[in-house]
Amino acid sequence: MRPLTEEETKVVFDKLASYTSDLKSLIAPLDDGDRFVFRLNHARVYYVRLSIANIATSVSRDALLSLGTCLGKLTKTGKFRLHITALPILAEHARYKIWVKENGAQPFLYGSNVVKAHVGRWSEDCPEHSGVVVFNMADIPLGFGVTSRSSAEARRLDPTGIVCFRQADCGEYLRDEDTLFAG
Amino acid sequence: MAPSRTKTIKNKHAANGSGIRGSIKSKNGPQSDGVLKSKKNPNPRVQTTNVKGRPKIAELLKKKKQRVYSAKELGIQDLNMVTPIGVVKPKGKKKGKVFVDDRESMTTILAIVEAQKNGQIESKMIKARQMEEIREARRLEAEAKDAERKEKFDETKDSMRNKRKRYVKPEESDHVDVKDFVASGTNAVMAKKKRVSFA
Repeated sequence: MRPLTEEETKVVFDKLASYTSDLKSLIAPLDDGDRFVFRLNHARVYYVRLSIANIATSVSRDALLSLGTCLGKLTKTGKFRLHITALPILAEHARYKIWVKENGAQPFLYGSNVVKAHVGRWSEDCPEHSGVVVFNMADIPLGFGVTSRSSAEARRLDPTGIVCFRQADCGEYLRDEDTLFAG
Repeated sequence: MAPSRTKTIKNKHAANGSGIRGSIKSKNGPQSDGVLKSKKNPNPRVQTTNVKGRPKIAELLKKKKQRVYSAKELGIQDLNMVTPIGVVKPKGKKKGKVFVDDRESMTTILAIVEAQKNGQIESKMIKARQMEEIREARRLEAEAKDAERKEKFDETKDSMRNKRKRYVKPEESDHVDVKDFVASGTNAVMAKKKRVSFA
C-alpha cells in the first residue's frame, strides 16, 4: 500500500471531476483533525481516513484485501476505471443526474443502458458525453453512466433512443461479486 | 647496438640481503640478480633532438591523432540500446516515484484538474448551444420553405380549378339552351342527333 504519485493523482481526480462538481470537500480536513487520503494497493485506489491508512501499514500488502472505500482500478495503460463501490462518493456531489422511472430501474440494474422512455427527469443543460449519476425516483443512487446526447438533443429523441450509456450499476455487486474486490 | 656483457658472481643470495658494504648489491642496486646488463637510455632521440623553432615530435604525434566523430555528427541513425531511443533519463533527479500525500500539493493538483474540467464542460456547452441555434435556424428556414412551397402548390391548384370552370363543354353542361326550347315549341323533347344504324 502506498500513496498515489502525481500522475496517478491527476488521473484519478480527472475521472472524479467528470462526475462530481465539488472535489475539494473530498480532501477537506474533518472535525476531529483527521482527513481522507488516497492509497494504492494491487492497482486499486482506496479512499480512506489517514488514521486508518496509518494503522493498515501494519498489514502486509498481500494480506491487505481492502480498506476504506475502493474508488476504482488503475489500468496498466495508466487510465483509471471507476468501480460501483465509488457510487456513494459520486452521488453525494453529482454534477449531472438522471432519474429513472420504476419501469426503467430494473433494466438498468441488469446492465442495460438508459433509454429515453425510462427517464423520469434529468438535469438541465447537460452536454453530451459527460458523466451522470443515475437515481431512481426515490432519489436512491443506482449507478452511473455517460450521456449519449445533450439534454436539448435528447428531447427530440424517440422513446427507444439511448440517453445514457451505463458505466456501472448496483447489480454489479451480485454479477461481479468474485472480481469486484480482488482479482 | 652494443653487445650486452654478462658477469657471474658467486653466492648471489648472500649478496642480496647481506648488508656487506663491498657486496654487489651495495654497488648495483636492487635489480641485480646475478646478471648484469649494460645500461641503455630508453629514449635517447627525444633528449637529443630538441631544436628550437620546430615542434616537438611528441606534440606532432599527439596532433596526428584522428578525430572521432559521433553518430549524430555523421548523421547515422540511432541504434537500439538498453534504454529505448528518445527516452532520456534526467540527470540529478531523484530515482523512483514521487508521492503526493500532503494536502497542499493535492489541493494544487485538484485545482488544476477542476479548472481544466470546467473549461472543457463550458466549451462543450457553448458548442452545444451554437449547434442548437444553427439547428433551430435551419428548422425555421425549412419550415418557411415548406410553407412557401405549399402556398405555391395551392395557388397552382386553384388556378387549375378556375381554368376548368371557364372551359365548359356544351354537351356536358347542365345549362340548356333556351333557343332549343323555343324552336321545339310546346313539345319539350330535346332535339336528337341523327343516328345511322345497320340492321
